[in-house]
Amino acid sequence: MDQDFAHHLSEVAVSVELETPDMTLNIGPQHPSTHGVLRLIAKIAGERAFDVKPVIGYMHRGYEKLSEVRTYPQITALINRIDWVSGYANEIPFIVAAEKLMEIEVPERAQYIRLILTEMARISSHLIFMASYPLELGAATPLFFALRERERVLDLLESVTGGRFHPNFNRIGGVKPAVGSGSTTRKQIQDLPAGFFTQTKDAMGKVLDVCEELETLVAGNEIFLARTKGIGLLPPEVAAAYGVSGPNIRASGVKFDIRKVESYLPYDQFDWEVPVGENGDCWDRWWVRLTEIRQSASIIQQAVDGIPSGPLQAKVPKVIKVPEGQTYVRAENPKGEMGYYLVSDGGSGPYRLKIRTASFSNISILPWILEGILIPDIIAVMGSLDFVLGDVDR
Amino acid sequence: MTGFATDLFANFWVSLAAKLALVATMIPLIGMVIGFAEMKLSAKMQSRIGPYFAGGRWGWAQLIADGVKFFQKEDLIPEDADRPVFKSAPILVLVGTVALFVVIPFGPGLIFRDLSVGIFYALAISSISTIGVLMAGWSSANKYSLMGGLRAAGQLIAYELPLVLAVVGSVIMAGTLSMSGIVEAQIAAGYPFVILQVVGFAIFMIAALAELTRIPFDMPIAESELVMGYLTEYSGFRFLFFFLAEFANMFTMSAIAVTLFLGGYWLPGIPESVLVFAGPVILIGKVAILSFVMIWFRWTFPRFREDQLQTLAWKWLIPIALANIVITAIFKVLF
Amino acid sequence: MTTSPSDTDTAAHPLQEYADSVAEAVGGTAEIHFDTVKVVVDPSNWVSAFQTARDRLDLVFFSWLSAIDWSNEVAAGDPLSEEVEERFEVLATVGDLTEGNRVTFSTDISKEKAEIDSLVEVYVGANWHERETAEMFGIQFAGHPDLSKMYLPDEFIGNPLRKSFPLLSREVKPWPGTVDVEAMPEGPSVENPEA
Repeated sequence: MDQDFAHHLSEVAVSVELETPDMTLNIGPQHPSTHGVLRLIAKIAGERAFDVKPVIGYMHRGYEKLSEVRTYPQITALINRIDWVSGYANEIPFIVAAEKLMEIEVPERAQYIRLILTEMARISSHLIFMASYPLELGAATPLFFALRERERVLDLLESVTGGRFHPNFNRIGGVKPAVGSGSTTRKQIQDLPAGFFTQTKDAMGKVLDVCEELETLVAGNEIFLARTKGIGLLPPEVAAAYGVSGPNIRASGVKFDIRKVESYLPYDQFDWEVPVGENGDCWDRWWVRLTEIRQSASIIQQAVDGIPSGPLQAKVPKVIKVPEGQTYVRAENPKGEMGYYLVSDGGSGPYRLKIRTASFSNISILPWILEGILIPDIIAVMGSLDFVLGDVDR
Repeated sequence: MTGFATDLFANFWVSLAAKLALVATMIPLIGMVIGFAEMKLSAKMQSRIGPYFAGGRWGWAQLIADGVKFFQKEDLIPEDADRPVFKSAPILVLVGTVALFVVIPFGPGLIFRDLSVGIFYALAISSISTIGVLMAGWSSANKYSLMGGLRAAGQLIAYELPLVLAVVGSVIMAGTLSMSGIVEAQIAAGYPFVILQVVGFAIFMIAALAELTRIPFDMPIAESELVMGYLTEYSGFRFLFFFLAEFANMFTMSAIAVTLFLGGYWLPGIPESVLVFAGPVILIGKVAILSFVMIWFRWTFPRFREDQLQTLAWKWLIPIALANIVITAIFKVLF
Repeated sequence: MTTSPSDTDTAAHPLQEYADSVAEAVGGTAEIHFDTVKVVVDPSNWVSAFQTARDRLDLVFFSWLSAIDWSNEVAAGDPLSEEVEERFEVLATVGDLTEGNRVTFSTDISKEKAEIDSLVEVYVGANWHERETAEMFGIQFAGHPDLSKMYLPDEFIGNPLRKSFPLLSREVKPWPGTVDVEAMPEGPSVENPEA
């Protein structure tokens, strides 16, 4: 046997011996913890995952194309379905963008109503997170505590808008008259249902109570801390480069909230704080959202106290045509930065509507953040990013 | 007539058949009672009502309805599954549970078979169900099932040791391996061993939870991670077997803990003559308390990660259990 | 709510100074569209503009990247009111995480050679946005690691967000169009004293 052949044989033997084929694990699109139809293809060595590849698009509905063939009022109904957990909040940046192009000054009362409802949408979205996140770590009971209070918030949203998930309540120039306030054929239409303010204050008190409960039940649990502290660390520079926004980047210690820097709703008239985390781990993302619920509840209480009187609608033409122009309006949605780049040609529908959604950018970080971590941590990290597939795929 | 009955039951085969029939009715009954308790208690803890309609009142028939439903379902077996292994796994799990009933003393003389190595037998048998779990995970031809099975195997290795070591303390104090002997030793001592074996009892309960794969140690099932772990591919009555085994196992593990640490069928101040009748009630009452604690944990805690569980077992429970044995032995020799 | 006219007296706009400074730094021209700072750069300058924006202007947050198909022939939706030059306009918005500044960079590329350098080296988050844009508009991003399809099935042919791509459902069944489903309320809405 010549030496080359022997060498070759030894190499073959070694490669045969050492090669342990990786197992490819397909997580989703039907999996309890992928929040819908996200699919992850991961290479698994033991319980450690490498080379995680997210596959999206199972929920793609082509809203950007559909908006090009719809009128502005019709698009509001469409975009409600983007992030269905906080449907109301989706409408705001789009409506504000259209109003900017039309140069409409929205009455202050309408702006306050928008603000109150947006914060309610934020509370309900964050309460869903508070419900589902411990469940992903195996604790089932916080789910019911959080959903119970979310029900109150949804009831309030319903009492004003008529819709629990897809209110479709904003009109260019203001808001629609409330659902319970009288028929549209009457001469005078009242804006908010009777008793709305007292009920809201009551519900906000309950929401603050459940925050306390969740803090004791979830944050007071050693196992929960062990599962979330130091897991899924996200440095602020990486988060920014990936476009991760909202509570996720604030958890990494970035004190940035679009509500503070843009004037799409009168947030500057209230006294509230932007909570930030320290390390950017799963625990911080949980804590930031819990604190945001408290802040939102406080904003709503202040807004209810300070709501001005006045009309609900600015003067708008009966057939809405938006003048030529383009603008980008972004808003701090529960999931992060949501924005619309609206290009109008003066017609009754946009020429192009680019929808920037928070979850899309938030989960683009998955291949980076899931590299080399354990399967239980994959679930913990994915859950902590709090995404909605409708918001990813649009 | 009574003579005839005594004669009849003295016959080995007749008494065996009677005992088998008793166990065969007991396991579904216990499974249903604990299952129903879990449903209602979890509902209470979560501000829900729980089962309500089945049976007319409080939904008492809910688990009967569930059981019937499972039998009506199609018995699906994945195409690539290792069929004989897949089919026998749930049976093995249930057999392990049934076999545990043999050595539990329900009262003075009320024991299916008073083995002289009772506790040794119980610990050995309780591991069988984990082998059934591993078989289920391996044979399902499903990656999630496989991972669930492997997690169960890892858990078995990690938790069998503290379980056994925790028992040793009580055994040293009683000076016997017989289950009824351990209870009698506690009666003779006049106090349940838990008073001196708090550490052993705590370790035993933690390890028992891990053995039962209940939250916070339910990693082999881990619904949010592994879909349903080793149960993913099971449906119909095979799933029901696992389901029953889980609840019946809760009973047996609690009963072993009660026997070893809480005085078994005995309560201080109750004369022996009454114990024959009151014993089973007392035992079941104590088991109910422990089962309640397990259910309480289940609906309060999140689950550990597999590596955290291993750390807990190897770095904490086993050394503490060993220390417990040494201290118990020293006290036994000295006093 | 501040609004601003897009073409008249832009010098008065509070953002003008900032827009000019950005435009000067990256070598482009500044426009302000209703509070949106837009800087038009040359396609050859595309990546270096973002490099400057990230390193010198502190615009570290990558918001989004997409494109507009400026086309005179539209297969779906309303056509443009006046003729435009046929082109793709590639847009990307970046922002800072302190002051709330944001800049939308824009560049025009021809339809015949729809290709531009990828931003992945500068903002790693551009990866998915460029994949989406490539899929929807058929624009190639040179230097992108993986331009595979993101939303659509692998065997799908066409680029849906191009204006030449018809919306099939509309071809089959016409949409009621401008008919508003809900009647506008007759009277003015007023405050509810009982609220």
